[in-house]
Amino acid sequence: MTQVKLISAWFGGALLLAGVVGILESGAADVFLEATRPDFQKISLGVAGIHNAGGPDWLGGRIEEVLKKDVQRSMVFDLVDLPSLGIQTPDVGNGMGVGSKAVFKQAAEKGVSVLVWGKAGLKEADKEADVNMEGFVYDSGSEELVGGKRYAGSPSVVRQMAHRFADELVFRYTGEPGIARTKIAYVAEQGTARELFVMDYDGYDARQLTADGFLNLMPQWSPDRRFLIFTAYRNRNTQDIDMIELATGKRWTVISLGGLNITPALSPDGNFLAFASSHEGNSEVYRLDTRTKAIQRLTVNPSGDLSPSWSPNGRELVFVSDRGGGPQLFLMGSDGLNVRRLTFEGDYNAAPVWSPRGNWIAYVCRTHKEYKLCVISPDGQKRMQLTTGPGVDDSPSWSPDGRHLVFSSTADGKSQIYMIDADGKDIERLTFQGTHNSAPSWSPAS
Amino acid sequence: MNKTLWICGVVLVMSMVLIGMPGCSKKSIQSGGDSQSTQGMAKGGSSDSSKSGVGSFPDTGVQSGGGGLRGLDKNPSEERVGSGTMLAKVDPSGSAERQMDEIRAEQAASSAAGMRDVYFAYDSWTISEDGRQALSRDAEWMKSNTSALVKVEGHCDERGTSAYNLVLGEKRAKVARNYLVELGVGANRLSVVSYGKERPSCNEHAESCYQQNRRGHLAVKTGK
Repeated sequence: MTQVKLISAWFGGALLLAGVVGILESGAADVFLEATRPDFQKISLGVAGIHNAGGPDWLGGRIEEVLKKDVQRSMVFDLVDLPSLGIQTPDVGNGMGVGSKAVFKQAAEKGVSVLVWGKAGLKEADKEADVNMEGFVYDSGSEELVGGKRYAGSPSVVRQMAHRFADELVFRYTGEPGIARTKIAYVAEQGTARELFVMDYDGYDARQLTADGFLNLMPQWSPDRRFLIFTAYRNRNTQDIDMIELATGKRWTVISLGGLNITPALSPDGNFLAFASSHEGNSEVYRLDTRTKAIQRLTVNPSGDLSPSWSPNGRELVFVSDRGGGPQLFLMGSDGLNVRRLTFEGDYNAAPVWSPRGNWIAYVCRTHKEYKLCVISPDGQKRMQLTTGPGVDDSPSWSPDGRHLVFSSTADGKSQIYMIDADGKDIERLTFQGTHNSAPSWSPAS
Repeated sequence: MNKTLWICGVVLVMSMVLIGMPGCSKKSIQSGGDSQSTQGMAKGGSSDSSKSGVGSFPDTGVQSGGGGLRGLDKNPSEERVGSGTMLAKVDPSGSAERQMDEIRAEQAASSAAGMRDVYFAYDSWTISEDGRQALSRDAEWMKSNTSALVKVEGHCDERGTSAYNLVLGEKRAKVARNYLVELGVGANRLSVVSYGKERPSCNEHAESCYQQNRRGHLAVKTGK
């Protein structure tokens, strides 16, 4: 059995390289992420400016900044800095003019595969007026102007324009929808209450969804992105599972069996809800058929069973059980049969989430008394620790493309929300406001 | 506007379909906590869904993929961009103030009664000798105040996951409840609830603080 342990990914270097090589040598047929494959070549992409065509000074720069970050986070592209390659970035209009040819040639010679540029302005002189954005794409490989996009919307949605354009780029080169328009639901403290919020995947534009003044915990998305399902406390006394419809704010209780009803997870097709409930004594994992309302108990033992997470094909569940003493990860069929233990390293492994690509399960592992992020392959053969250092890491959740995780950590003192690449590199803090932000859940791609 | 109407319509139709389904007629919609209105949703029977314990379920499967991306175009037509996922404005109901008032009343009643908390070791739900003494004192009070109802709250420190700490908190609350019953307090006067690590009494990242948070707290109920 080859067990690879990656420590301190940010300082990467030789250690990281050794770790990645180690995984590949372990005969990983189901290769990790493309980004860590030696034969994966990110597509080099340069952004030759989003030029201001009227409108406020910040407009073009704002869109360009958001676009560049989206491009980097996509992990499909390698964002190159054009000025440092000596490539000038004049406004080349729609790319049809003579001046643009010179820029394209220069970029191609420097190995830039994709060149992106655009312009943005106001439709009218009024600063409340709609914003216009145009974006264009040139491909050095095919030596052609691939095409572009034209967007219009209120000044408040310029970040969304950049996100949309970034997703179009990812879609063009991978056929995947991209993650730049995804959202993250989470819990934020308000006084002593904890309420649900939703923000953009990059931490911007946070909006409050609940305001009932007590605890609303651990939201999860429905597959169609229309609802959140979460644990709430009715009259502070009983833990129920509630749903809220994002567009209307309409909210109702779906599970109120008595006792503790927590960690809801809808199956990828939305037909089943797995959750933990203690209404028959101790916490067990149950499965509700959302159409017939039939509830099936999946676990039977005197210990705590909780935190079910579905495999992408809906056939299996990973969950937490402390039947062996401390909490460990177990796998079972979605009918509760064929239960087997997955984690054996360490005495505390919890909060598992199955990656959308199926090849990894992320979870919280306790090492050296700290609660950190780990990933393990569903066959238990490969394991990596993604984060190190002090602080309690909790509630990992995968991006829909499987290339990132979002999680909460007290590494900087208060609990805040962070994004990390699935190979443990590039931690990015997403929340800066408030005293406590936790339980992030990444939405499916639209 | 049109979109809102359309969604209301869809929800209405969906609710009617759900009501019409065999075996679903008894299920009721429960407004959670102090939620927004349930207009457009089925209102079957009383507002207490405890009979079945299962509320109505919308179809949450993905109807159409596509992601709304139209691809790059040599002559792109204009696309209007909205804010992405449509989000309702939160309804600032009076719930938060009411809850605060009730919590304050509970705290006042508990300290007037001199209720003592029981503390636990890291990762543990075993009651220590000190804990037994605290609970004995609490049991005496309950036996001489026979109409009082007490909620036993299980709490944890910030270490560990939110989810597992809810289960751990419930174990702590239940051992404390069971010990009170052993001491002669009627089980029907005691309820248990776990707050996990979500309502810490102390917010520092230090053992001195952690030990205050690993507790079973006895709250004297004041309202319902």
